[in-house]
Amino acid sequence: MLKIPAVFATAGLALSAATALPVSAATGERVKVTGEVIDSWCYITEIMFPEGSAHHQCAVWCAAGGIPVGILGDDGTVYMVLKMGDDATSVANPAVLEIQSHRVKVDGALYKRDGINYLVVDRVLTDEGIVKVNHEEWGVQPFGK
Amino acid sequence: MKRISSATALIAGLLAATPAWAAEEWGLPEEEVARFEAKVVDVLCELTGDCPTDCGGGKRQLGLVTDAGALVLPVKNFTAFTGAAAELIDFCGKRVVADGLFTTNRGTKIFALQFVKEAPDGKWQRANRFLPKWAEANGFQAGGPESKQWFRNDPQVKAVIGRDGVLGLGTEADKDYLEKQ
Repeated sequence: MLKIPAVFATAGLALSAATALPVSAATGERVKVTGEVIDSWCYITEIMFPEGSAHHQCAVWCAAGGIPVGILGDDGTVYMVLKMGDDATSVANPAVLEIQSHRVKVDGALYKRDGINYLVVDRVLTDEGIVKVNHEEWGVQPFGK
Repeated sequence: MKRISSATALIAGLLAATPAWAAEEWGLPEEEVARFEAKVVDVLCELTGDCPTDCGGGKRQLGLVTDAGALVLPVKNFTAFTGAAAELIDFCGKRVVADGLFTTNRGTKIFALQFVKEAPDGKWQRANRFLPKWAEANGFQAGGPESKQWFRNDPQVKAVIGRDGVLGLGTEADKDYLEKQ
């Protein structure tokens, strides 16, 4: 059993030196991100096919269950969504459930910490709905209905 | 039609898990069993300075800051389709011992919390407290059939799936698809 993975320990040592100022002082990098709203757990672990109409129901379940919702950027980068507009909740956020699996373009602030990209979304600029219609190929994940 | 069987196996394991006070291996990508002490923090607060006194009352993602200063993101707990905020909110601002699995894939390293206790000598809790909290909030019995299938009985889920369908493409699309199965 590991006490703590080396990558975190190394990053932590660097951070402890670099963040003498509170991390809360950070303002984040202004970004616009375009991609699919995803269930981060299923996407990162690949325990099932995790995108589009095939995975929509599961993505809604996981968002309602409090698993962090992400945005899979067009370049393959995963962003963890911490806030959506004026609503600072990120556990079962109703507005996020409404756009689960949709292709969106958002404007917000990006915070990178210990290998994870965190996104504070100010606005959803565009919402194309679900564009990956892939249930014929993949079925309904994970139970088939 | 393509299928991935590991998902069903893992979910079945979560639904039928038996008590033990050490992390189970789940066969995740680059999986690492880990037990470490850390402080429970509100991730949004940690990064931006937007800090309610109660860590968001369970409605924000919670993180674990290690003694080395690293921010670990617990994404999963020990219940099917649920995250870790419900498991950690009672430890807001406190030090805990976290036990579970790191997994690294697709450029991101996350943590699945399986057990937690207040550091250093608290009582171990399996990270499955979502269900009793969900049951109480929704007027069901913990351990009852509605709770075991919480994801099919949650009011928010039922509203979204009832309107948009399982596929998210409308109920007619569901009907067309399911008739072909």
